Amino acid sequence: MGQGVEHTLSAAESLRQAAAARSSAQRRRRLFLLLPAVTIIGIFGLAPLSIALLYSFLEPGTYGGVEWVFSTDAYVQFLFERDIFDDSLIFNSAYLQIFARSFGLALFTMCGTLLLGFPVAYFIAARPPEQRNFWLFAITLPFWTNLLIRTYSMLLIVRDEGFLNLTLMKLGVISEPIEMLYTDGAVLVGLVYSFLPFMILPIYASLEKFDFSLLEAGHDLYASRAQVFRHIVIPISRPGIVGGCALVLIPSLGAYITPELLGGGKKLMIGNLIAMQFGSGRNWPFGSAAALILMALVLVAMMISLRAGAEKESRHG
Amino acid sequence: MIDARDVTKRFGEGASAVTALERVSLHVPEGSFFTLLGPSGCGKTTLLRLIAGFELPSEGEIALDGEVIGHLPPNKRPVNTVFQNYALFPHMSVARNIGFGLEMLNRPKAEISATVEEMLDLVQLGAFAARRVDQLSGGQQQRVALARALAPRPKVLLLDEPLSALDLKLRKGMQGELKRLQAETGITFVFVTHDQGEALAMSDQIAVMSAGAIQQVGTPEEIYTTPQSRFVADFIGDTNIVPAELLGYEGDKARIRFAGGQAVLANAASATLAPGAVHVAIRPETITVCDAADEAALLHGTVLDSSYFGAGSQMRIRLRGGTEVQAQVAQPSPTGCEVGLIPDTSMLQVLVD
Repeated sequence: MGQGVEHTLSAAESLRQAAAARSSAQRRRRLFLLLPAVTIIGIFGLAPLSIALLYSFLEPGTYGGVEWVFSTDAYVQFLFERDIFDDSLIFNSAYLQIFARSFGLALFTMCGTLLLGFPVAYFIAARPPEQRNFWLFAITLPFWTNLLIRTYSMLLIVRDEGFLNLTLMKLGVISEPIEMLYTDGAVLVGLVYSFLPFMILPIYASLEKFDFSLLEAGHDLYASRAQVFRHIVIPISRPGIVGGCALVLIPSLGAYITPELLGGGKKLMIGNLIAMQFGSGRNWPFGSAAALILMALVLVAMMISLRAGAEKESRHG
Repeated sequence: MIDARDVTKRFGEGASAVTALERVSLHVPEGSFFTLLGPSGCGKTTLLRLIAGFELPSEGEIALDGEVIGHLPPNKRPVNTVFQNYALFPHMSVARNIGFGLEMLNRPKAEISATVEEMLDLVQLGAFAARRVDQLSGGQQQRVALARALAPRPKVLLLDEPLSALDLKLRKGMQGELKRLQAETGITFVFVTHDQGEALAMSDQIAVMSAGAIQQVGTPEEIYTTPQSRFVADFIGDTNIVPAELLGYEGDKARIRFAGGQAVLANAASATLAPGAVHVAIRPETITVCDAADEAALLHGTVLDSSYFGAGSQMRIRLRGGTEVQAQVAQPSPTGCEVGLIPDTSMLQVLVD
């Protein structure tokens, strides 16, 4: 009897051990499968970010690069100017203005792509399934060409003797070319053009499965067309709208080529400011600091919008 | 209540235009359970969508309580629809779905919540108010769709094959439920279905439709016992359609003769047919089987087989002309036996082809 109990115990023990061994083997395998992804995120995401963080707290080298001396000058420089005579700090809003201008332009770009992109996404989602691929193909077609080339073509279209001005003049609408190139308007048009697909595709994805009989149901229940749109179409496509806005807002904040070419680099944007610090400015720490400040601002903005979205969700239930 | 006058609906333009409804006129009495019955493609759903306002008539007009509404958009008509796929709003709770119509009508909040409460009780979903609609079963979604359409108290409730997505047992239960809701609310129901059993069980009146036209309108009993056309007789169930010769009309009856039998008087909807070959509907339960030599026999044939179904037996008989008929009898004759058939002449119905 006693022996039997011992036997059972040891059997249970060995079962438990086997299970433990199995689960630890499983855990090892899971980690192993995660390894490639973790490695890539580590090398291409975290490492550059850490370098930028490190550099932002060092002093600039005379010919670029950094001096390995701890300093918070880069962050101080963002808001203040050092008086050349007595070394005192004077508030300087030049960089803040660059940030504000970039944010403004990015917000306009977001609104522009949303206003143009939503109807397009809705139109594609309302096509019969066999026609949708054609339209999606048409939307993504410009991506087959380099952004630089597309931006140069835009330049050719909007410049003084470009396609747009020549056509308008031939039609007699204007007698002198309108100066479009190197204006904020040209930059905005360029940004809206390059980021439009990033707005269309997420909204399309959220509307792809949309049941269009819901429109009839809403209309039947005394909602006008505008009310159907507001109470049914918008809430159901909200995830796509939020995703599209984030996908357009964030990269257009750091846009570099478009403001450079279409804006003529006359007014600095964040992207150009940062690029300059690593080039002619030879101030790597300040470039790093500006990049990190931008990132922090985006993160804060996203957290606020996410929280607002979550609250809205819970209120409606 | 609802009056459709010479309503035609065409889809498409020019040569490729398809006519879905051809000069349809219809009267739906107030407070009735009215069914549009027909096979798919007969135009019944198009007619429903015209009443709802999702489509506008190509010709003709639709009036509600004497007021022409054919040109109004759906949100301006006191008519609500229960959709075949329910079309519940997936981003709203059950309660908000039900209250949506009243919300759009700008009713006060207190009234909306009171009505929603009442509707939830009516469809027995009181405990589900806060649920998301995708957490409900098909039958529960069906009830929400009903409650949502009833909440604004429409003058007419339109139901587009609402039971077709449910399994058989649930469907039987919902048939009774719909009848109860109609009686309790007193709202006129216009119900679309292709299922004749459903139509016979639930309706006060049925309009049988085929090929964009209304074939016959009547109570379930009228439709069942006195089908006027071959299509209706065929569609409404297991009736026998037997060729005969029309000799002439006597009053509102028609004098007919089956092959090899004597002339008898049968019911006729109208005295419009020319004498000659016609078809006559004979219900299986109105046939008496007798000896082949019986003088009273109007039809003669051979028993093919018979099957017992509890209350009696169903016999299949091949007539001398080759037509197969069914008869319900208490005692079946043996297979291969020559028999005579005596249909109840008061139940014979001459059909228009």
